[in-house]
Amino acid sequence: MTKETSNNIDENELIERSKQGDRKALAELVKLHEQTVYNFAFKICRNREKAEHVMQETFLSMVKSISQFSGKSKLSTWLYTVVSNHCLMLARTEKRRESTEFEEETSYSGAISSSDWKYTPSDVAENNELKETLDKVIERLPEDYKIVFMLRDVEGLSTKETAEIMNLSIPAVKSRLHRARAFLRNELNNELKDEN
Amino acid sequence: MKIKQITCREVADYICKTLAEDIDSPQCVEIKEHLEHCDNCSKYFKSVQDTIVFYKKYNVEVDDECHTRLMKYLNLEDEK
Repeated sequence: MTKETSNNIDENELIERSKQGDRKALAELVKLHEQTVYNFAFKICRNREKAEHVMQETFLSMVKSISQFSGKSKLSTWLYTVVSNHCLMLARTEKRRESTEFEEETSYSGAISSSDWKYTPSDVAENNELKETLDKVIERLPEDYKIVFMLRDVEGLSTKETAEIMNLSIPAVKSRLHRARAFLRNELNNELKDEN
Repeated sequence: MKIKQITCREVADYICKTLAEDIDSPQCVEIKEHLEHCDNCSKYFKSVQDTIVFYKKYNVEVDDECHTRLMKYLNLEDEK
């Protein structure tokens, strides 16, 4: 989630200045991370309004508690944690499917032998229809699996960082990632098959 | 003694677990050899990779209005 500002101001310096009450530095920190926070929130929520809401709440948490930021972990890791928690809370209030249902549905046994993997995402033109399909498929993943997949595979965080953000053990992250990858691949295969 | 050959099921399981991240491990060498000779597993491996690539590509931008609303929400709109 890190990138340098146009003035190449060091992020640590911005954090220190923000802690001292420098609101310009705080605004710079927001600008530095807003794109990644919004994008990540959108990838989890699949909805621009919800993503904007999560982004606003995430940065409000940052503004309120920047003085207590210890610097033990990266600011980006902390932001990912806040976004993830907000998304999990949103999902709970919307009473989405429980993880237990997913566990039962995603038995992987025999998957490789029962499918010919004829329809791959790369065969399909990158258009709105594909985006809708991607949305539809990932929407079926329980939120905690979705977040692990997004953090680890899409955002490129390490297993350790993902475990820290999700407050999970490393084996639990690996297990969720494994199931999420298999689930998404299988579901996409089925969706693309239906469209062809 | 006959060495047990790796199965397609094991390869698929391994792909989803690690996506061949631990490329130098003995098991990974076996996986790579299998992928070279098994068309179905090779397609499966690529399809898992493609799935991730597609979700990576699918990004949204914070437009000016969204940025303005954020700064206003945080009461930072005047800090330029």
